[in-house]
Amino acid sequence: MRPFALLLKLSLRNVFRNRRRSLVALGTIAMGAMGLFVFMGFNRGLMNQYRANTIRARWGHGQLFVQGYRGRAHADPAAKWIEMPGVVLERLRALPGVVSLFPRVTVNAMLVAGGQAVAGQGEGIDGIAEAGFFDQLNYVEGGDLRDHPAGLMLGQGLAQGLGVHVNDEVLLLTRDRKMDIRSAKVRVTGVFHTGSQEFDSRAFRIPLAVAQALLETDRVESIAVALSGVTAWPAFAKAARAALPGLEAVPFDELDKVYYRHAVDWLDAQFAFIRTIILLVVFLGIFNAISMTVMERTGEIGTLRANGSSRLEIAVGHLLESGALGLLGGAIGLLAGWSLSAGPLRDGIAMPPAPGITRSFRILIELGFRDALQVILLCAATSVAGCLLPVWRATHIPIAEALRHA
Amino acid sequence: MTLYEIRNVSHCYSRGRHRLQALSGVNLDVREGEFLAIAGPSGSGKTTLLNILGLLHSPDEGTVRFKGMSLARLKERERTRLRREHIGFIFQTFNLIPVLTAYENVEYFLLNGTAPHAETRQRVVNTLDAVGISAQAGQRPNSLSGGQCQRVAIARALVRNTEVVLADEPTASLDQTTGVAVMDLMKRLNQERGVTFIFSTHDPRILAAAERVLHLSDGRITG
Repeated sequence: MRPFALLLKLSLRNVFRNRRRSLVALGTIAMGAMGLFVFMGFNRGLMNQYRANTIRARWGHGQLFVQGYRGRAHADPAAKWIEMPGVVLERLRALPGVVSLFPRVTVNAMLVAGGQAVAGQGEGIDGIAEAGFFDQLNYVEGGDLRDHPAGLMLGQGLAQGLGVHVNDEVLLLTRDRKMDIRSAKVRVTGVFHTGSQEFDSRAFRIPLAVAQALLETDRVESIAVALSGVTAWPAFAKAARAALPGLEAVPFDELDKVYYRHAVDWLDAQFAFIRTIILLVVFLGIFNAISMTVMERTGEIGTLRANGSSRLEIAVGHLLESGALGLLGGAIGLLAGWSLSAGPLRDGIAMPPAPGITRSFRILIELGFRDALQVILLCAATSVAGCLLPVWRATHIPIAEALRHA
Repeated sequence: MTLYEIRNVSHCYSRGRHRLQALSGVNLDVREGEFLAIAGPSGSGKTTLLNILGLLHSPDEGTVRFKGMSLARLKERERTRLRREHIGFIFQTFNLIPVLTAYENVEYFLLNGTAPHAETRQRVVNTLDAVGISAQAGQRPNSLSGGQCQRVAIARALVRNTEVVLADEPTASLDQTTGVAVMDLMKRLNQERGVTFIFSTHDPRILAAAERVLHLSDGRITG
């Protein structure tokens, strides 16, 4: 322990031996650490915001279906819908983390208005319940269904195709399970867009009761779930499987695999690349600083080796010194990053619309303890890695030659 | 007892196409406890000979035996161990670690020792005391005079209870009075502790203190 303590003391003193060079090295590491830390906070903020948008625009934290229904074609889909939804909803409400439940049915219909007829794919929803949670839909006109008994929300493309606006009347024509044609008159309460042109050109929403009457069913196709938080999903899904084994619980990121999951994977890959570049800059900064330091101390290394210090002992001293530089620089960087996010970036960064989202928003810098730990360890590890080659070189110079540098 | 036996040692430096014969057919025996000076002009091979004695160089030709053991096929690790256990160095420019105090500069070289902390401390204090520098133990090299630095360097060379101290122009960076004082100190330590001192110099007044003087010229012993 004592030799290590003296080595550590020597290393720490060497950190401040050439103050200007140490400051440059510390500055490089601190800048890298700050950039990385803020970038990770930005990344987390972006991901959280994007996730919240995805959850609150359409999917909820997840949805429940009858086992075997999802992902397959069915001759009579409604036969595979959830029976006695009232009972199921009651049992689900008792499960951990549940805040709200949203029963839904899919309804394919022809929408007719003013001589125009356009095919659409809609959902029957609980207008009042959903209005409270799904607040991230982008309305270009009007608003949600609320308590309108015969309301209609339309995707922007579909509304344009029909040439309708808020308060216009639209006739829905569909076939029920017996293939009889059924119709309902509804009134436009809002026009929305999601950012997906393909979705917005066919999507509509009507009250659940209207959809069930059109389809002549009292079942629901799915139940969307709003939980107390994203982290509550695993416990909820486990409890749902136990309480209602006939149902399948699917999280939002699997439901929205095409947009959310792929976008997250894409962003993650991009962030990893940028993170690598930042670390490379830190690595080169350290490599340069340590190379200079080691070159300057070649004579000292020769003296140590002449007096019986092994290459390993000398290398350990330099590794400790680099590690200390990395830790110190990392800590300064974290402090600077925290100051930046608590000061100038307190209100976040204005961003253009993300993939699948048509609304621009502000990304808050969400700094995390684990990120801080990761950054500081990465700085130390990169610093140590940056000094390996210069130290290896210096300890392998013939001793007599090294002594000539003294 | 013979400490070093050197037979027909030659060493040559290559600088591109140029070859410089630093030592040619050197034969030398050094007894334990000797106070041996190596004299000669610059480029005569003094430092090369000291480097070979200190296991920093291997000669191109010839044999070197240290305490009866041939050094020819020793691995780097074994050479390091031999240097640590038996050989101390003193340099013209002191070569102290600037960020460590005088005490720590000496203590550093006991890092590998297994002795308890109190014993190590006592040994460092005693060695600093022996070279007359204990009052400056807490000072760093930049606040010490050249003579004081060289005393610390001597303490550093002796603290491991080495049997031989190799000193390359130990007084060259010191004024005459300090140089004589340092040489007197080395002589005293040689007599009191029986440590073998081999040092190079071309200062006649320093040479006068030597028990034996080896004259080198163009890499050959001339007297």
